Amino acid sequence: MPKSVEKDFVFNFSSRGLSSRLTVPVTIPLRSSAAEFEVKDFASVEKKDAEHAFPKVYHTLIHSPALETLLNLEHIYALSMENLTQQRDRDLRRLEEKHQLEMEEALQHVGENFKDDDINVLAQRHFDNMQMVEAKWAKELSELREEQKREYHDWVHRVYEDTQTASTPPYVNRMRNVTTALPAAEDEERQVQLSRLEESFTIHLGAQMKTTHNLRLLCTHVMDLCRHKPHTVGGIVVPQPQRLQTAMSLYSNSLCGLILLVDNRLNSYTGIKREFAAVCEQSTDFHFPDLAQQLSAVETALTQASTVRASRQQQQQQETDSSSVHSSGSNSSGSSENQDKSMGARLHTGDFYLTKHSNLSEVHVVFHLVVDENVRTGDITSRHPAILSIRNIIRLCFRYDIQTLTIPLLLTHEMTEEMTIPWCLKRAELLFKCVKGFMIEMATYSSLVSRTIQFLVPRGMSEEMFAQISNMLPGIFRLSNPLVVKST
Amino acid sequence: MNMLGRAEFGVSTFYAASHPNDKCGPNGLPLTPNSIKVLGRFQYLTTIEHPWLCRYIDIAKSKHERMLVVTEYYKTTLQSQLESGKYSRYHSHCLSVIDGLSYLHSKGITHHNLSTDNILLQTDTDIKLAEYGMYYMTDWGADVNFPIGLPQYMAPEIVCSGPVEIDDETEDSLQPEIGPKVDTWSLGIILLELILKRQLWRDISLPEVLQKLLNLINSEMSPLDFLANEEGFSDQLKTLSKDLLDLLRFCLTLAPSRRPTAEELKKHTIFREERQRMTPHKNGFTMCTMKLRCKDLELPSYDDEIYDPDHLSQRGMAEVYYLWQLAGGELEAVLKKAGMVKTQPPVNLLPCCGIPDGDMFGQERDKAELLDRTVVILPQEQLRNRLKDIEERAYYPLLEDEYADNSQLPTSPSSCDLTMTASLPLVIREKDVEYQFHRIILYERLLRAYPYKRPNIWKEARVDIPPLNRAHVWAALLEVEGDIENIYSSIDKETPIPTDRQIEVDIPRCHQYHELLSSPTAHAKFKRLLKAWVVSNPQYVYWQGLDSLCAPFLALNFNHEGHSFCSSLLPIACLSRFIPKYLNKFFLKDNSPIIQEYLAVFAHLIAFHDPELSNHLDGIGFIPDLYAIPWFLTMYAHVFPMHKILHLWDTLLLGNSSFPLCIGVAILYQLRDRLLSFGFNECILLFSDMPEIDIEKCVQDSIKIFCSTPKSATYRQHACKPRKQKNDDRPNVSYYSRDYNEQPQNDLSMEPIAIEELKAEKCPRISAEDMIELGEFLGAPLSRSPTKKRANSKPMIIIVDVRSADEFRKGMVQGSINIPFMTAFSPEGELCPCPAVTTLNSRRSQVIVVVGNRGRNASNFANELVRLNYSRVCVLHRGIDILKTTGLLTVAPADI
Repeated sequence: MPKSVEKDFVFNFSSRGLSSRLTVPVTIPLRSSAAEFEVKDFASVEKKDAEHAFPKVYHTLIHSPALETLLNLEHIYALSMENLTQQRDRDLRRLEEKHQLEMEEALQHVGENFKDDDINVLAQRHFDNMQMVEAKWAKELSELREEQKREYHDWVHRVYEDTQTASTPPYVNRMRNVTTALPAAEDEERQVQLSRLEESFTIHLGAQMKTTHNLRLLCTHVMDLCRHKPHTVGGIVVPQPQRLQTAMSLYSNSLCGLILLVDNRLNSYTGIKREFAAVCEQSTDFHFPDLAQQLSAVETALTQASTVRASRQQQQQQETDSSSVHSSGSNSSGSSENQDKSMGARLHTGDFYLTKHSNLSEVHVVFHLVVDENVRTGDITSRHPAILSIRNIIRLCFRYDIQTLTIPLLLTHEMTEEMTIPWCLKRAELLFKCVKGFMIEMATYSSLVSRTIQFLVPRGMSEEMFAQISNMLPGIFRLSNPLVVKST
Repeated sequence: MNMLGRAEFGVSTFYAASHPNDKCGPNGLPLTPNSIKVLGRFQYLTTIEHPWLCRYIDIAKSKHERMLVVTEYYKTTLQSQLESGKYSRYHSHCLSVIDGLSYLHSKGITHHNLSTDNILLQTDTDIKLAEYGMYYMTDWGADVNFPIGLPQYMAPEIVCSGPVEIDDETEDSLQPEIGPKVDTWSLGIILLELILKRQLWRDISLPEVLQKLLNLINSEMSPLDFLANEEGFSDQLKTLSKDLLDLLRFCLTLAPSRRPTAEELKKHTIFREERQRMTPHKNGFTMCTMKLRCKDLELPSYDDEIYDPDHLSQRGMAEVYYLWQLAGGELEAVLKKAGMVKTQPPVNLLPCCGIPDGDMFGQERDKAELLDRTVVILPQEQLRNRLKDIEERAYYPLLEDEYADNSQLPTSPSSCDLTMTASLPLVIREKDVEYQFHRIILYERLLRAYPYKRPNIWKEARVDIPPLNRAHVWAALLEVEGDIENIYSSIDKETPIPTDRQIEVDIPRCHQYHELLSSPTAHAKFKRLLKAWVVSNPQYVYWQGLDSLCAPFLALNFNHEGHSFCSSLLPIACLSRFIPKYLNKFFLKDNSPIIQEYLAVFAHLIAFHDPELSNHLDGIGFIPDLYAIPWFLTMYAHVFPMHKILHLWDTLLLGNSSFPLCIGVAILYQLRDRLLSFGFNECILLFSDMPEIDIEKCVQDSIKIFCSTPKSATYRQHACKPRKQKNDDRPNVSYYSRDYNEQPQNDLSMEPIAIEELKAEKCPRISAEDMIELGEFLGAPLSRSPTKKRANSKPMIIIVDVRSADEFRKGMVQGSINIPFMTAFSPEGELCPCPAVTTLNSRRSQVIVVVGNRGRNASNFANELVRLNYSRVCVLHRGIDILKTTGLLTVAPADI
């Protein structure tokens, strides 16, 4: 078989009246006079353009007087969604209670009216019931979601067309009236809920050329950054201000990212993943597919990843094999191949997958970083896969304009007994230093944009420890010149 | 200088290929982004200057590897002419194209991109080739994802060699570079099209074009016959002259080995007549040359018909483009307006998963990255509007007149504005289009008259230096002159030398945030420059820091349109003048005596100006050796980012060799509050990573410090010795530029002092000469002291005589006060109160000169004063004895 090279020849002829773009993957046998060309047309350009129009339309509207209307609409949709999910939760809880009662009663009368088999049948029936009701709700929810989404898209397009033609669209005044009609806020509503411990720093990075960045040390639960808190004015639920911020920057060049630590199973059944899924479900995401769909896309990409990983491992194996004078023989290669196949698209420690959201409180992009138990208990070094992955995530942030990134400083979302003060300090130091190094590295060739890194520590950390960690920060990062005000 | 003329500026854009994931190069550092490589390679193109070639003016890198290229541009293309159907000049145009190509080839550039839409028509008769640098700047196509050149015009060997491959290790293109003969083929096709007055293979799809090209290669027929057959123009061919047909066949030769080069084509018989009419091309002005610059000068005869009211078009292209930017021109905005920047929001481009190795998956390809060959014209209205009120005269300032009547700036309706602008902060002045306009024109004229106009350049440089002219102004300030080409091009920069290894390690760490300096092209230049310096200065060695020292010169001469060949030599010429002036002997193999002396003088200077800080730093043991060596060894080029170095050096180059010391003190001033509150460790930490410094304030402070320091206080025996022959062409007005060492020496001057002695003393010494002058003991002030006289001339100094009262009575300097050292201090270390001390305290703003006998008393007394936070204390060198010959000593009046 002749050795050949392949590469896409891509032309864009939009300038010369020929509007089509062409990609020509060329296969050319090397050093041979005859060349073969495979040709493929890029046909689906048109369809994609329509799909890509929505971000632009939305971005224009959200930066126009239609902003309020848009947000209110989203808010109303969110409320009805929340309503429905609450109903579902109530319904399921009731069903569960009912089942429990039945089961208890049945168990009390085992041997009298019921045999063991009957118990099994009852359990099976309960399970089926539960599934049916869940499925029913899921269907209802997804229908509502789809409907909202469709309506919303239509509405956005329509309003956009209106703004392009009419000078002062009528809805502006209408919605203005609605907002001004809100009652005055009550005193308790004016109180800011201070559940967070927070400290901010401005730092300089770089030896000669300095870039300014912001660091924030934050003590709160990770879901608080995602969940919309109920926000009322005079008893009426109104959208949170954060929502505005998130919506306005969604298609901009300043995104917000969050690293969420997960286990190596790609689902949303347990622990923090379940909580996160629940938060996502609270309202409809009008811009991105829902979480389940995004996860299935991740799964497809993971198979790709696993082939790359396998081939790389093989290469490494070969390299070590050839260097170690073939001591192990051939049986090892066979078993490893089997292993690779069985592993399929599994997640490993240090892998991450990414989901995008428009309906979370302070976050657009969530990096789900896979960690194992070791991270929580043992000591790790800067070569640990999770740290390497944080580097890749930061690189991604620099590349794709994610200006704010939240990193769990201790690489865990919970405070536990084993986490002693020295352990916490050591972990914090490691993360601080690594992140500093990564940021310096990434800033080398990129522009001088300043970024914000939020270091998140779990809720339940003592104020004393928080202070200790915050004191550590100026020793590791160079704070920008303090402005000293002199009295004379 | 290439005049703008009727040219437009065109901007085009493309994406450099981004590296798939973060691989590392063989040196362990991450791979250089392709955009940076292109940026570096591009710079060479700005030096290409030829009547048939469009100039390359500027390149910019924007987000995500997008490159923006600015070139000279004309709206009419050969293609549009061809389409309009009224075209018949192919004969002369063809020769111009060939001439342009042969010039390119002689410069090592292959066009590879020739087509009818990038041959532009300047006028009906003159053509200009455009887009010829694409292949060169992208490392022969290796740095981009798209093929360069249209397939219709591609030579067969390009298609056969396949797409570009890149070596993972070295980042270089694996392909043997395709030779310049591909251009001959493209020319053949173009010529054919021009003759046929129609385009070949134009309305068919790209795959079909490639298919036809393959058929052509495999065909038995000659390419021309094949084409004639395919396209059905055999009949037309028959009507052509034999010479023309021969030329066509010659160009369209399948085998590159038998195809002629552009140079050979020029000699073709068909061009015999035109060739004789062609005048050889001359390149413009060079700053330093031994050739007679006025040799070909023809004074223009004034003619109403050629008088052009558009004065801006008489200015150089680079200049107009620079002003265009200042007038608010933004490349990306122009492209956006033309709809060329269709970027997707970043949130839609994110991948969906990644593994620790750095690979990402599930990403869609950004369609915006595909090549769009459109050139967008930069609108000049905004600039012309801004400049429309400027008087015509301002375009041609008269140097002689202006200096005669002493007006600072050329007059214009807004001249009052300009004088006001001149007092604004430098950063604002550098952004003011009108101000820069005047400055640039003035400097351009002065530089043309260099070295004759050197005094004026000095004078203007004290106001400011426009960024556009900075490279040459610096060269002028450093008195680079003579035949630098001959001197420096003969240096061997290739043969390996022992320092190569160290140089190679240092270069990738030197100012790498700077886009240009981080490019491989810059690294190569760096290496040549450093080697050239090391080789040409055998008495010196390479010390780390020399790389930083080179960086400003390299960055400057990289950046702007070099005056052709000069540009590569100017950095080494500047460096070779800079080092002896400011860093004399610093690069000796054993440089410790020099550095020790420098640091000791620096310590004196701190004590002189800020005793409190000096005491604090001495107290915690934070001596200058711990932080200031990199400052001085690199003249601050290691501690500041490039834009700050440039501003700092603008002033530094005007000062003498002591001026850098004053900058050091000025830096400490800015950090004073923190330093005073810090202990040793915090100080070390503070300087391990230089904090942000306000550079304009630093410059102002250091000038103030310099002016309030007696010259002899910064005397160093290792500073450069006066040059022998000295033509007095520098203005004598400047106390600034004179070096103490360059002044004639006499008995009263400063002398070398042993380093131990220097270190033991806290205060600088002042020479008798300086003291006499500052104290105005001889009446008429000489112009040697930096210290400016105030109108109501209070004495600048107060002389404290620390000898015993007896000795004082026998002979004293007039106006001096006597505080005998033996009785001066109380046991607690305070000055014992007496009338003399009261006088001293009442005149604390003056320079305190401590005069004693030959012993140590005077310097000890001075040390005590410093301890008590008296500022501006210095000691008379060699004590009272030195004054004995001057006749300044008088006997004290009896009543004191």
